[in-house]
Amino acid sequence: MNAPMDVDVSYYIVLSTVIFFIGVGGVILRRNPLIMLMAIELMFNAANLALIAFARVWINNAGQIFAFLVITVAASEAAIGLAIVVVVFRRAKNVDVDEVAGLRG
Amino acid sequence: MPSTLTIPWGNADWNAILPLGVVALTPLLVILADLLLPRSLRRSVVLALAALGLIYAGFLAARGWGHPYSAFGGGFVTGGFTIVFQEIVIAGALFSLLLATHLGRDDQAGGAVALLLWSASGAMLMAGAANLMTIFLGLELLSLALYCLCGLAARPSAREAALKYLILSSTASGFMLYGMALLFGATGSVQLSAFAAPAASPMLFTLGSGLFLIGFVFKLSLAPFHIWTPDVYEGAPLPVTAFMSVVTKAGALAVLARFAYAALPQANAQAILVPLWIVAALSMIVGNVGALAQTDVKRLLAYSGTAQLGYVVAALAGTTSLGLRYAIFYLVAYMFMNLGAFAVVALLSREHEEGSHLSAYAGLGYRQPVLAALMTFFLLALAGLPPTAGFTGKLLILASSVDAGYAWLAVILIVGTAISAYAYLKIVLAMYARGAGAPLQRALHPASALPWLGVAICAIATFVLTFYPLAPSDVLPLVK
Amino acid sequence: MNPYVPVGIFLGVAAVAATAFVLVPGLLARRKPNPAKSEAYECGVEPTSVVGGHFPVRFYLIAMLFVIFDVEAASFYPWAVQMHALRAYGLLEMAAFVVVLAIGYAYVWRKGGFQWR
Repeated sequence: MNAPMDVDVSYYIVLSTVIFFIGVGGVILRRNPLIMLMAIELMFNAANLALIAFARVWINNAGQIFAFLVITVAASEAAIGLAIVVVVFRRAKNVDVDEVAGLRG
Repeated sequence: MPSTLTIPWGNADWNAILPLGVVALTPLLVILADLLLPRSLRRSVVLALAALGLIYAGFLAARGWGHPYSAFGGGFVTGGFTIVFQEIVIAGALFSLLLATHLGRDDQAGGAVALLLWSASGAMLMAGAANLMTIFLGLELLSLALYCLCGLAARPSAREAALKYLILSSTASGFMLYGMALLFGATGSVQLSAFAAPAASPMLFTLGSGLFLIGFVFKLSLAPFHIWTPDVYEGAPLPVTAFMSVVTKAGALAVLARFAYAALPQANAQAILVPLWIVAALSMIVGNVGALAQTDVKRLLAYSGTAQLGYVVAALAGTTSLGLRYAIFYLVAYMFMNLGAFAVVALLSREHEEGSHLSAYAGLGYRQPVLAALMTFFLLALAGLPPTAGFTGKLLILASSVDAGYAWLAVILIVGTAISAYAYLKIVLAMYARGAGAPLQRALHPASALPWLGVAICAIATFVLTFYPLAPSDVLPLVK
Repeated sequence: MNPYVPVGIFLGVAAVAATAFVLVPGLLARRKPNPAKSEAYECGVEPTSVVGGHFPVRFYLIAMLFVIFDVEAASFYPWAVQMHALRAYGLLEMAAFVVVLAIGYAYVWRKGGFQWR
């Protein structure tokens, strides 16, 4: 691997941490389940970025294979998430988790 | 350029995942049967196929006893530990099928049963998973199928439960996955066995294992990550709730135990795991206190499950080999007493109403004495009173935690048990209260033979396991 | 000194100030709500629809199917690249993958999942 300009791997880790926390913040702060699903995807993909960066550090392809696995799982998760959101809100009018308040812990 | 790659695994590897493969492939037959058979036959054929597949897988798994093997380059490990957890998963799934005669509409039955089996195969994968990839795959297979199953019942609360479970559980998966990435970064390997060596970056390793553990504490619904459980248990259809209460927890516990016992460097293993014991202590208190206020048996069992898994994790404290044995014993006991209670709820259910509200139990002792007596037995077992497996299990856990130097956990366990007695006895009192509430005439399900079978097996097992051979050395630490 | 340190200090000050501007009024302000004040617009009209509008349900169904088949295609790529090296073993694995996928596809089709409603 001869990258034209070698970027220090730590930048990728910092970027992935930032993306991860944007995802966490999205899940906590946003009330729209579609946005929350997107935020969860962000968390998954932040982990992907970290995995690939670490695979580069350790020269171990396991990280890349893992990332591929995560992409597949994240897609299934997104599909199932969309399906459940559609089922929940086919009857309700708004897409807002605060409206889904029939159940209270 | 077209050089040939040698495939680094062969028959022994495929053999190792054969039980898992059977459970994962049976749903394909189930789906085909659902598509090809006439509507009248569908449900029974689908259930029979699923049960046969599970029983066959259970037989195949048992056959591997005494032949430990590390398959697929260390991705999946067979041996005693894996087999015990796989059998627990299979038994849990079979019991759920006994209650599943009314799961979903007729045209959903095939899909629902298939999802149940796929979910079980995910838990079986977790039972033997020995690297981060297989753990992740098993966990997601388990969870993704469950998200769908939760929303199956035709009431709004079911769909809300599914959405809630999906979002919270996926978030937990996200934390866990990021933890896995950090673990990989700290050690340069995805193999759990490679983690036992001192990590290149201890700080990254501690951070990673913390995030990793959060994910599994969530799946075990231990406090403070248990808030989702009562709502999801209440909203999900009864067989699915029963399945979740055993299979999800068995799968997550298998990974947790393997991680705690085999994947931490000696030097700081105990330090990394301390939060886990605190979480266990918290669960024993919070779960039992939460159970006090519940008027719905499914919600009560959700809180109870939090406390019970707290006991199981407490057994692991100090990561002694005896502790692991007792944790597994208590998990098996929990499976029987918990599923027995769920089967009673199934027997009290009518076509459009699950018999989980406390009012369904008012005066039950006079309407159906046998059922009430059995329910009392299961509740006593969950509370940990003498002639039951719950009592033996708790005694063993007390012994092992005292022995491992975690006497404070033992004290909290006793306090938690005392609190829980109130919660469980509330139902017992309701069942035997004279003139409490109008004696509702509750019609049983037409096909009520199967839940009865479940109740009977669970009752016998809960009783017989009481006499688990208590070697003197087992209880000795309590006397010392 | 690292030239980025002043930038870091600047960012820190900005973050603290911005957070304070948001939080402090909430803590200090006197609140006297009345129904008219609590309305979405004190004058003007109530919004009648969600901003951004609704997407029809079939939009989500298509999105779901797209995501699934998109990733399914991505799964073929590594195999396609190494097809010759993997030989019959790879071919069998992919065949098994396709069979599983086909059964799922048949199930969705028969249950009416692809109907344009």
